[in-house]
Amino acid sequence: MASPSEAAAGSDGEAQAVFRGITDDVSRVALNPTPKWWWPAFGVSNLMLLCLVVSLYHLFTTGIGVWGNNNIQGWAWDITNFVFWIGIGHAGTLISAVLYLFRQDWRTSINRSAEAMTIFAVAAAGIFPIIHTGRPWFAWWMIPHPNDMGMWPQFRSPLMWDVFAISTYATTSILFWYMGMVPDLATLRDRAKERWKQVGYGLLALGWRGSARQWHRYERAYLILAALSTPLVLSVHSVVSFDFATSQNPGWHTTIFPPYFVAGAIFSGFAMVATLLVPLRHLCGLKHIIKESHIEAMCKIMIATGLMVGGAYGIEIFIAWYSGNAGEWFTFRNRVLGEYSWAYFAMVSCNVLVPQFFWIRKCRTNPWIVVGLCILINVGMWFERFVIIATSLARQAMPGMWGYFSPTRWDVLTFIGSFGLFFTLFLLFARFLPVIAMAEVKAVSPEAHAGKDHH
Amino acid sequence: MSATKSIHPDEKYKADKMGGRLFKVGLAAGAALLIISVILGATKGDHWRRFLYAYVVGWSFVFSIALGSLFFIISHHLTRAKWGIVLRRLAEFMAGTLPFLFVLGLVFVLPVLFGNKHLYFWTHDGLHDPKHPLWHHMHHKFGWLDPAFFAGRYVLYMAVYIGLARYFAKKSAEMDTAPDAAAAAAIADRLRVVAGPATVAFGFVTLFSITDLFMTLSPTWYSTIYSVNYFAGAMLATYCTLALLARVIQQNGKLVHSVTVEHYHDIGKYMFGWTFFWIYTAFSQFMLQWYGNIPEETIFYSYRMFSDWQYVSLALLVGQWAFPYLCLLSRWTKRILPLLMFFAAWQLVFHWVDLYWNVMPNAQWTMETTAHGVFNMGPLAGDPAKHTIGFHFLDITVWLALVGLFLAAVGKAMKGNLIPVKDPKLGECLAFENY
Amino acid sequence: MTTPANDDETPGAADAPPPDRPGHADGPDGGRGDDGDDGRGTGNGNGHGSDEELHGLLAEFETPGALIAAARKVRNAGHTEFDCYSPFPVHGIDPAMGIKATRLPIVVFLGGLTGLVLGTLMQWWMNAYDWPWNVAGKPTWSIPANVPISYETTILLSVLTTFFGMWAANKLPQVWHPFFRLDRFARVTDDGFFLGVEAGDKRFDLEQTRQLLVAAGATHIEECYVDARPEARTMPRWIMAAMAVLTMVALIPVALVFKARATKSPDPHWHVFSDMDYQPKLKSDQPFADFADGRANRGELPGTVARGQLKADDAYYRGIAGGQWLTGLPAQVEVSEATLARGKQRYDIYCAPCHGFDGAGMGIVPARVEALGGAWPARNLVERGSAVITMPNGQLYNTISNGYNTMMGYASQMPVADRWAVVLYVRALQRSQNAAESELPAGSQVR
Repeated sequence: MASPSEAAAGSDGEAQAVFRGITDDVSRVALNPTPKWWWPAFGVSNLMLLCLVVSLYHLFTTGIGVWGNNNIQGWAWDITNFVFWIGIGHAGTLISAVLYLFRQDWRTSINRSAEAMTIFAVAAAGIFPIIHTGRPWFAWWMIPHPNDMGMWPQFRSPLMWDVFAISTYATTSILFWYMGMVPDLATLRDRAKERWKQVGYGLLALGWRGSARQWHRYERAYLILAALSTPLVLSVHSVVSFDFATSQNPGWHTTIFPPYFVAGAIFSGFAMVATLLVPLRHLCGLKHIIKESHIEAMCKIMIATGLMVGGAYGIEIFIAWYSGNAGEWFTFRNRVLGEYSWAYFAMVSCNVLVPQFFWIRKCRTNPWIVVGLCILINVGMWFERFVIIATSLARQAMPGMWGYFSPTRWDVLTFIGSFGLFFTLFLLFARFLPVIAMAEVKAVSPEAHAGKDHH
Repeated sequence: MSATKSIHPDEKYKADKMGGRLFKVGLAAGAALLIISVILGATKGDHWRRFLYAYVVGWSFVFSIALGSLFFIISHHLTRAKWGIVLRRLAEFMAGTLPFLFVLGLVFVLPVLFGNKHLYFWTHDGLHDPKHPLWHHMHHKFGWLDPAFFAGRYVLYMAVYIGLARYFAKKSAEMDTAPDAAAAAAIADRLRVVAGPATVAFGFVTLFSITDLFMTLSPTWYSTIYSVNYFAGAMLATYCTLALLARVIQQNGKLVHSVTVEHYHDIGKYMFGWTFFWIYTAFSQFMLQWYGNIPEETIFYSYRMFSDWQYVSLALLVGQWAFPYLCLLSRWTKRILPLLMFFAAWQLVFHWVDLYWNVMPNAQWTMETTAHGVFNMGPLAGDPAKHTIGFHFLDITVWLALVGLFLAAVGKAMKGNLIPVKDPKLGECLAFENY
Repeated sequence: MTTPANDDETPGAADAPPPDRPGHADGPDGGRGDDGDDGRGTGNGNGHGSDEELHGLLAEFETPGALIAAARKVRNAGHTEFDCYSPFPVHGIDPAMGIKATRLPIVVFLGGLTGLVLGTLMQWWMNAYDWPWNVAGKPTWSIPANVPISYETTILLSVLTTFFGMWAANKLPQVWHPFFRLDRFARVTDDGFFLGVEAGDKRFDLEQTRQLLVAAGATHIEECYVDARPEARTMPRWIMAAMAVLTMVALIPVALVFKARATKSPDPHWHVFSDMDYQPKLKSDQPFADFADGRANRGELPGTVARGQLKADDAYYRGIAGGQWLTGLPAQVEVSEATLARGKQRYDIYCAPCHGFDGAGMGIVPARVEALGGAWPARNLVERGSAVITMPNGQLYNTISNGYNTMMGYASQMPVADRWAVVLYVRALQRSQNAAESELPAGSQVR
């Protein structure tokens, strides 16, 4: 057998150059001195994070009354923000797991940052259900543990399902993200110049040395985690939807909710990934790894999920009418034509009409248009949750349970603050960790098959 | 994987006489069973009620496979999927039965149009009388559930499906006769572009067609996820049928080199995936209605949980989900072909049980006013002795008759090449390997 | 912007291979000669002294394909203690090296099963067995509502098994490995493809193995040495000490919790959050030093009447007219079917338990006392000619309001109008049970 290296020496060298190029471009982001744009961005994010700290301090010391919530609108921005963030937190796992199972190789360029985004979004989401309880310092009562009160959590409540679903999801996302990152942390370890970076990355890399026997188990574990994350990601937003759908409240109690929430989550998640990655690929010079075609693919997924969400809006209204249930029909008429119709139309236009622009090629390739449309979609998805929560509670069965929600400044500050937390964490990630899964990008590149003389 | 392969030189990929044979066998079996069923239906003396219900179950079974095949084709073009190209033609043949299924569907749509009152409860006499106990549940939707409007919608839905199926089959066949690779690639590109709007049309029509055709069998009950659940079952059935059909064709000496264990492995993965999605939608529907505990909704499940139907419900849970789901977890179940074929057949049988379980209890819909003036309605009303499945041999014969006729229609559509020989990505599909 | 790897200023790594790789034709034989140059001069590079022993040979290849071919050759030559190292998983290397499929999936399946069983048992034990808790009338053990959590615990345990099982099977973390001593090996996380044969292999022979690797197409071969002294390979003492200290510190909160649970204390709880336990207000029976009487309760001020509390109408509120019991009815009381129906309903709730539904004095309370051998007679309200029949309405009203003998007053349970309604109903009972035949409506039968 002829030595392959002799057989195609020229192209082999090119293959190695390609791998090296990927390593250089990605590790440069983490190892080079801080770029100029980073500090202002980090500063602004920290200011927003400060809003969260201040508003939480005020909330804890004063009480839920600082928000606009009242007896009728018992859930408002708090749960809206929770569902909004947890929805965004779905794209990461979707990209890493579901697209992996579907062998969509283009995912490798975006999965790392999408996973990171997932974790930070889940962190931002996790704040809200805890603080909305009124006495968040008792949140640990939701964890089953022996206690002197002799009490156990009530497992038949969808709110307890949430505790389990969200914590399982957070754990899985972190482990999946970290496991995927270990080979790349090893790359940073081997390229870092400063001793503290070598030690830091070295400890995180666990001594990874790219052994084939280890890769074998690693890949198997990765596949299993992907296969486990897929039903998990489906279940998490389904459980969130159960919070509403198990009730008898018109506008909440409908069976399409689980898949509809999941579709909406994927929709908003992709919008957020695109919002973050389009600037990132420009700022970090990663345009040749996060390619235009990848952004386009995300836009197409947004068309699909946007239409699914639109289909759910349609069938919901149709069945509300078809059912002959007076409460349902009244709620939906009120949702569309009542006091909150401005929110409803904001939701429909942002979620159903806006993604239709992505049919036009120009709208998928121009970064400004993509980011603009994606921000609109995120606005629309926030409104979707607001519409579901606020309009359904605003007109309950008795006129005595009618009301209207007006946010206070603390509602707004808390919401801004959650963005602060999210952006701060994301900027730290983009500065210090491998933003792109180098090993995976290399593995799916055509050069990964260089020198194979038969296949 | 960008490795490619060309079609094996010994490969027999022409349909030749196989379609004709399938047509003959299917037609003979289908016609014979249909005659038996008609006789059974006529002698039952219930104004063809049982026959019509059994017919709807059987029709929804074959319709689901054709519908799933259509979605298989469209989604493959849309996502530029490569692994399933060798199976695409088979799906096109199955989707090609839609015009014939349209005609078969008229068997229960036309009676509704001409005043039959035994299938859909909303055609019931006296419902339009405001004194009728169900009037307040129904009166607002009489306009929608009007026999003529209903038949019109049936034609519209089927027209969309048939139009899509014919377009994709025609263009795909054109690819085979394309003069060069560039022309074939142009067609493939065109199909990919059309697949976008086609998916939208398919999705919206399906949301409503399934609601219309099957959910309205239970006149007052409603569920927004119903058509999604049916769609999940349809996709599952489609992958099972694809596996079986490909295997039968291979045992007739064709496609033996093109369809490899790798393709079956992927079919198996999809069977697993759709099984999960099916139980997910089924559980979502059940759990929310059970938990919500609203009488209009629980009427559907109370009957299926507390009469003899509870055994069918449990069988469905185990047979359609737990057992195949656990077994399909293993890589080997998907790669050892006899095992995979067993599960494909198993899941198809339980797909029928699923549809039977959905449709048939409505045949026992009754209404009565008790001595105390309390009004009872729904399948659980009336004499408890009647709370049985009411199984009749007819239920099976009609189903098998329709399967026979469906296969005959598949045979009729089976012409030309069994794989799209000039598809630009066929080479990659042939060399496809799971890793 | 700089590209660190390519124009690296670090001394010693200046001729690190990457940029000039194709032209850098260091043949296998020259490999050893390069070693010294490649070292970073940190002293523990590749040069080896007498106290170092051979760990193995590390061969470098240019492409994944070459690595696969070499792995096949090395394996066919009978080597077992060897491994390939690459920046990404190379597909096709598993069969070439003869790596058997990992049993991780089975372990994960068992982990998931454990999660399912534990999650389900936890819910059953906590909600249906240890503390059966009725919520909305749903069964304490209602499987549909328990599915979501069982599902999540199944996935959680599967995920934990996968994650930790994989690292354990891979024997990681292991932050140190002999090959890390070779600077060239740093490229294994970048663009290098390596095959390492360990000296412990049965068929290892420095020269023969080197020749084998040369024949397999290695572009560079290096010997790897490790310190022969076992103590040099143990973890530094200070790390062990730090870990021990950290473990002790981490145990302090746990110890505090256990101490708190095992001891009793009369002190009140720590109130990190006061939880509205202490509020700036006074309850009616609390002391308050700032008031002259030392009580928080201020009582009623003399000469004042609270709004709605005047109750000047003696007839209505007290059943008295002109100093005598009222014999008729106050003007506010309307004699009607509705009032009587109300009276019956109230009577059945408050009076019937003792006086009986018919007023004859044998309600369920006296009946039960009698059944147990005691006596607790209640007044027969309808006995012909008794005091209750002859007493004025006002007195009857007063008895209901304030009680009589052992009977408690019902003023706190029944508003004034209801008490009058009960008076009416008692009158109706008396009338109906003492009626003469002539008083019956026409057509009634006397049995």
